[in-house]
Amino acid sequence: MEMARPRKTNGVGVQVEDTQICVVMVGLPARGKSLIAQKAQRYLAWLSIDAQVFNVGNYRRKETAHPTAEFFDTSNVEGERMRRAAAEAAVNDMIAWFKKGGLIGILDATNSTKDRRRWISDAMDEHGIETLYVESKCDDEDLIMSNILEVKTTSPDYIGQDPEEAAQDFRNRIRNYERVYETIDKDESDLTYLKIMDVGKRVIINRIQDYLQSRVVYYLMNLHIKPRSIWLSRHGESEYNLGGQIGGDADLSPRGHEYAKLLPELVRRSVGDDRPLTVWTSTLKRTIQTARYLPKNYNQLQWKALDELDSGVCDGMTYQEIAEAYPEDFAARDEDKYNYRYRGGESYRDVVIRLEPIIMELERSEDILIVTHQAVLRCIYAYFMKKDQSKSPWLAVPLHTLIKLTPRAYGTIEEYASSGIDAVSTWRGQGSVAQHEEPPVGAKGIIGNAAVENTP
Amino acid sequence: MEMQKGKEVSDQGMIMAFGNRRPSRPELADVFIDDDDTNMLDGSTAEIAANSPRYRRRSSTFIDGVHDLPNEKDSPMAPAQLYSTMSGRLFHSGRIVIVLVGPPARGKTHISVSLSRYLQWLGVKTRIFHLGDYRRATLPPGAEIPDDYFFINASAKSVVLRQKILKKCREDIYAWLNHENGQVAIYDAVNPLSNGRRSLEKEFAKHDVQTLFLESYVTDEKILRENARSVKISSPDASLKIPTLVVEANGPQFVDMDPDDAAKLYLKRIDTKIPYFETMVESDLNYVKMINAGERIEYNNVSFGYLSHRIVFYLMNLHIKSRHTFFARAGTSSQEDNYKTDAHLSEEGRDYAKKMSETLLKHREAERAASIASGSSDTPLKPLTVWTSTRKRTVETAEYLGERGFKVRQRSQMSQLNPGVCEKLSENAIRRLYPEEVGMHEQDPYHHRYPRAESYHDLAVRLEPSILELEREQNDLLIIAHESVLRVLYGYIMACDAMNIPNLRFPRNEIIEIVPASYQNEAKRITIPGVASNIIPGSPEDIRIPVPSSGIVSPFPGSGLATPAESVNNLSKDILAPVAGHSEQNNLDGESDKSKPNRKPENPLSRD
Repeated sequence: MEMARPRKTNGVGVQVEDTQICVVMVGLPARGKSLIAQKAQRYLAWLSIDAQVFNVGNYRRKETAHPTAEFFDTSNVEGERMRRAAAEAAVNDMIAWFKKGGLIGILDATNSTKDRRRWISDAMDEHGIETLYVESKCDDEDLIMSNILEVKTTSPDYIGQDPEEAAQDFRNRIRNYERVYETIDKDESDLTYLKIMDVGKRVIINRIQDYLQSRVVYYLMNLHIKPRSIWLSRHGESEYNLGGQIGGDADLSPRGHEYAKLLPELVRRSVGDDRPLTVWTSTLKRTIQTARYLPKNYNQLQWKALDELDSGVCDGMTYQEIAEAYPEDFAARDEDKYNYRYRGGESYRDVVIRLEPIIMELERSEDILIVTHQAVLRCIYAYFMKKDQSKSPWLAVPLHTLIKLTPRAYGTIEEYASSGIDAVSTWRGQGSVAQHEEPPVGAKGIIGNAAVENTP
Repeated sequence: MEMQKGKEVSDQGMIMAFGNRRPSRPELADVFIDDDDTNMLDGSTAEIAANSPRYRRRSSTFIDGVHDLPNEKDSPMAPAQLYSTMSGRLFHSGRIVIVLVGPPARGKTHISVSLSRYLQWLGVKTRIFHLGDYRRATLPPGAEIPDDYFFINASAKSVVLRQKILKKCREDIYAWLNHENGQVAIYDAVNPLSNGRRSLEKEFAKHDVQTLFLESYVTDEKILRENARSVKISSPDASLKIPTLVVEANGPQFVDMDPDDAAKLYLKRIDTKIPYFETMVESDLNYVKMINAGERIEYNNVSFGYLSHRIVFYLMNLHIKSRHTFFARAGTSSQEDNYKTDAHLSEEGRDYAKKMSETLLKHREAERAASIASGSSDTPLKPLTVWTSTRKRTVETAEYLGERGFKVRQRSQMSQLNPGVCEKLSENAIRRLYPEEVGMHEQDPYHHRYPRAESYHDLAVRLEPSILELEREQNDLLIIAHESVLRVLYGYIMACDAMNIPNLRFPRNEIIEIVPASYQNEAKRITIPGVASNIIPGSPEDIRIPVPSSGIVSPFPGSGLATPAESVNNLSKDILAPVAGHSEQNNLDGESDKSKPNRKPENPLSRD
């Protein structure tokens, strides 16, 4: 009988059997490989699948922190040797990580030749690890340029250098790669691969071997690498918020209406120009009312999946009332808030499951403004900002604040715009009294405390 | 041994009798088709609907429900629906027609049916429109389509006929999308030419319907021949048969031929009948091309949405090879068992495991012998893989087969429904402690969850990866699991209405076998002889209250413990359902009254 490998609990309907997969990125520089790798890792982690990115560039930088384009010239013997050594170190570390039970390792490098790819397959085969090649082939000049601009400002290779020189050097580096680049073709029809061409317009999926691979490919198909931002806002303060009640389908309070009126200006300033956003709300009154003053040319969609976490029998109660009526439940929720499910209601884990189509749609879309509820927003925020399950349900998301998230190759940038309109707090600390309170000043886990860049 | 064999044969005889009533593709003799074109043009939607082949009878739980038309009034919920919008459509994906592309024997019908099964399971309102059904329904009985029917330069008469058939089918598609809140219509036809596909896409766009083409492109001769053999030899589509080989009007065709030769002839016949076929390369259309049954998938994405990607996700896991699936319960355990403790099998349970395994192995051999006897070539049996949950009872039940070299895989997501607070409580106690919950459970046994428990809906969502792995598995498969898990998996394979799933019963003395056919799946049951009657009953998983008469409470009428006789009779209006029958079974497990002495003390939610 086959012995199952010991594995961690992994939730959300994604169950991993005995397979371990090395996802190998393939493509020229500035094709969004690192962005895809980071996103895939984040998505898998969000679904409680143990995944890690191994960036060959980071290994190479240990030796050569700021290489010039010549370093990447294949006729540069020393450069070639060092790059090969970096790849080997990354692969060895990945194999060691797999031995400790890792499930999906992502090898982030150009892996631009057939030789290199065959070498990786052979190395993984030896340890019974599957390989899945992901090639992002893109000839869209504008997109490449915008990636170059981003890389020259955010890549560790060019920190502290003149941006113009950096961009020029990076273009030369790409040219060096182009000379030897071999796209995945017939010769490699025995490999498992996903080839994305023309920014996702054309896709080839070859020899998918198991469910987990199909799951990864499914996610990657939904990604695009065009620059964009996502704006998040809670609904304005509601009548229920005033009384400390949870759930329900209450109207906005007067201050909530004030926020709704201010929101269009807040959004316009944050967007920076007059381009319209697509707006997603839940099906509950308080988010629809919050979005009602947004310009007519903003396309608005209501999603049931964005409705607030269903608190079941506790719907409409205050924390105080819950603590009195269901003391055991109240304590159980504090202990494991992510997995706690209200009687007749939902847990955070349940919310993550129902948000999956939203996340997929969000990945496919460009600029989006989401007006939703605290628990849902925590889950979406945790997805973009890679927050741990034990922490994400405790995040403090202030009312009347617009959050802007911009996913980048090396992390997601957060920005905040407070409306200046007062609102009650709807936050409650772990193990604290059964009522809403103000989060302590300067505490961790408060969204909007400072505009911080989240680096992986 | 001899006696057991005799019993098996008689059981099979009965199954065969069922099988004959259930054609692999529906006979449409009962469909009234009005030949008057004006009637069709001016006719109301209702008339069109009433005259179309898609209005089949609602079938019962033991018949694959993938072609069922849900009764709008009960609006049954899909087993794994994550959420729905107000319109009843999902994901803001709008309305989609999935247009199949490919000559016959490429597995199009199989792909259509499987995809529909999956989408319905997800909660997407999906219906298949097989153009072949319309062709058969439009042609007078016994008539064949003209030889030039698929030709580009067909005669005027053939073109008129072609138009008429297409029109009828398309009107049904619009009627369903526009008036019945349909979201995905699957249009199963050859669609051989690029021009035709373009104009189809334009026409659907005019109706605000998005088109996604799905081509099955096969270069592998082996797959073609396999398809031709398994699907087409007894095709109801007379037009694509070789007339000289028809032995009798309704009997098996190609009967005197070597199956391989027949398959080759059949494929040649297709090539002559449909000489023009252009594979999809249209860069302005949305299409998915499945090459060699999913070995490779290419797609061209002009405006894909979530749902299209979800479909590709599913197709990545689909194959078109036919294999059997068996469901069996785990043996009983040695000690007072419940959800939290994970007990070993008892002596009795071990005995059951042995009997179950032997019965299954014998049955597989018998099926193979029967297939050889009926003229198939002597191919070895497909390998058998066994899936269990990670619970000791299921794992140990599989040991007998594992020791004989069969591959056993444990799947932790296949663990049973979590009973929550009802753990270790008797029915009486549950009723006393949670009277309101009991009331809600009675209202909606599929979605209701007791405090801290899982509902069947939760279980279905949790099992989705298993569903895809199930599609992916190429070997024959035996699933040994808790009854709650068997219910949900069976519910998927046979496209059961969610409301019936919690009431399906899997008595321990039966193995359920699902035989795939391209049009629908068929279920058979295999009796395990000599199983002690006290361990036969289904799990008392639900509170033992009389189930509201949904009509069907067992995969097979007559085999369920609590199947009320009248509900079986209700089925008789469905001619496809067998008569209640099977009295021997009824006697064996007819213990619907709780007073039966050899029942163990009640522990409604925990016994396997």
